[in-house]
Amino acid sequence: MKRHSIAPLAGIVIFIGLWEGFVRVFHVRKFVLRAPSSAVNYLWKFRTDYLEAAWVTVQHSMIGLLLALLIAIVIGALLASNRFAERATQPILVLVQVVPWIAYVSSVVLWLGSGTAPALFMVTLVCLPAFVFATVDGLRSVEPATLELMSSVNASRREVLWRVRLPSAAPTLFTTARFNVGLALAIAYYVEGANFAKEGIGAIGRSAASSSDRFAADRLWAAVFSIAVVGISALLLLSLLERSVLHWHAAQRTERP
Amino acid sequence: MSNVALGGLNKSFGELAVLDNISLEIESGSFVSFIGPSGCGKTTLVRVVAGLETASSGSVLVDGAPPAVARSHKRVGLVPQQPGLLPWRTVRANAHLLLDVNRAANPPDAANPNTLLREVGLGDFMEAYPHELSGGMQQRVALVRALSLHAPLLVMDEPFAALDEITRSEMRSLLNQLVEGRGVTVLFVTHNISEAIALSDRVIVCSPRPARIVADIKVDLPRPRARDIDDEPRFVELCADVRHALHGAMRP
Repeated sequence: MKRHSIAPLAGIVIFIGLWEGFVRVFHVRKFVLRAPSSAVNYLWKFRTDYLEAAWVTVQHSMIGLLLALLIAIVIGALLASNRFAERATQPILVLVQVVPWIAYVSSVVLWLGSGTAPALFMVTLVCLPAFVFATVDGLRSVEPATLELMSSVNASRREVLWRVRLPSAAPTLFTTARFNVGLALAIAYYVEGANFAKEGIGAIGRSAASSSDRFAADRLWAAVFSIAVVGISALLLLSLLERSVLHWHAAQRTERP
Repeated sequence: MSNVALGGLNKSFGELAVLDNISLEIESGSFVSFIGPSGCGKTTLVRVVAGLETASSGSVLVDGAPPAVARSHKRVGLVPQQPGLLPWRTVRANAHLLLDVNRAANPPDAANPNTLLREVGLGDFMEAYPHELSGGMQQRVALVRALSLHAPLLVMDEPFAALDEITRSEMRSLLNQLVEGRGVTVLFVTHNISEAIALSDRVIVCSPRPARIVADIKVDLPRPRARDIDDEPRFVELCADVRHALHGAMRP
């Protein structure tokens, strides 16, 4: 058990160590790659700025993700009970999923202006399809015998939805949420950097990438480090939540690292 | 207690005829088994009575009313072949499931599932989850779930088919114990002859599909049924009767 919790930490330490060594030994040009130690130093020096920025990015990505989930559950519940509506909606969802969001994000920023609105809109929109598909699959994954049991006492559709279908969808929703966390962070970061917004880690990253003063690289890599911390924390929280909500599920029963 | 009356019942799925002119009177409080070759339509027959399937023609009455009425008043307790427990609910919550939905139709004299769970020997497992239970224990929860409705009619579709022989005979005497004195009518689908005899007051033998009634055998063994009823000469005779009727039905 102890060994299991040390393993991921050891992996990170080794990775950072190799990186640090590589930069020092080969004297990599400053802007190309910074040694982790100098980025972390810089991050610590301006920790309040980065903390503030990180909080903005957390809000953009996580509120967007939550909105996507809630909307997806409503849409999914409607689609799961209506094949026609599902067939009609599928092409739209697939389109949103396959067209790279980065291709049209500038238009959205132009439309919604800078700041929170375009960030939330883009995160919600792009994370939506995967959540909808997961909801529909999950709601349908209930065993026919269970549905029959419910109908043998005339349980209403709503009761079946809340007591049987939604809990059955929880495992697939959690899996999808893991994928969407990374996506949501990327979108939030990019939109924050677009259109000269001044808030969020993405704004720091963008301004650092387009300036050439001698601390630009440190600013950029400190931004990378802070978004990494946000992402890892989000995944950890998700894992904890999953473990307590899905303790009954087969995937949660075996000891995991 | 419910009485069930079937008159000239036919059922087909498209071209496929499943039930062929079934007429049957089942008096309230009796335990009736349906036995027949697999795929013969015996499951469909009890599903029609439970209101889960509608007949193509003929009449079905449960206490003088269509099955849909009995269903809407929660007067039918269903025990499916697989226990179908919800994995995220504890044993206690699973036993309560049918009382938790459509509450308006709950009978005022609904049994307390907790008491029933203790009665079937699951008192120490109330807070356990289904994956922590053996197959026999899971099926006992399914039994309690149906009994807690205090429904006058129990419909059981091969509930012990997936269990091993030892657990099966244990479940057999448990079911006898639970049903005797409760005054409930039971329709029980099985393809196990000795199980049918040990449990029933009456065994209906069905032909291969489409199901017809080929024999209606009265089981005149005393109640309460003893655990070792299998050793009685009369039990062996009755088993032979059912077997002969089954073999007769199998011949073209």
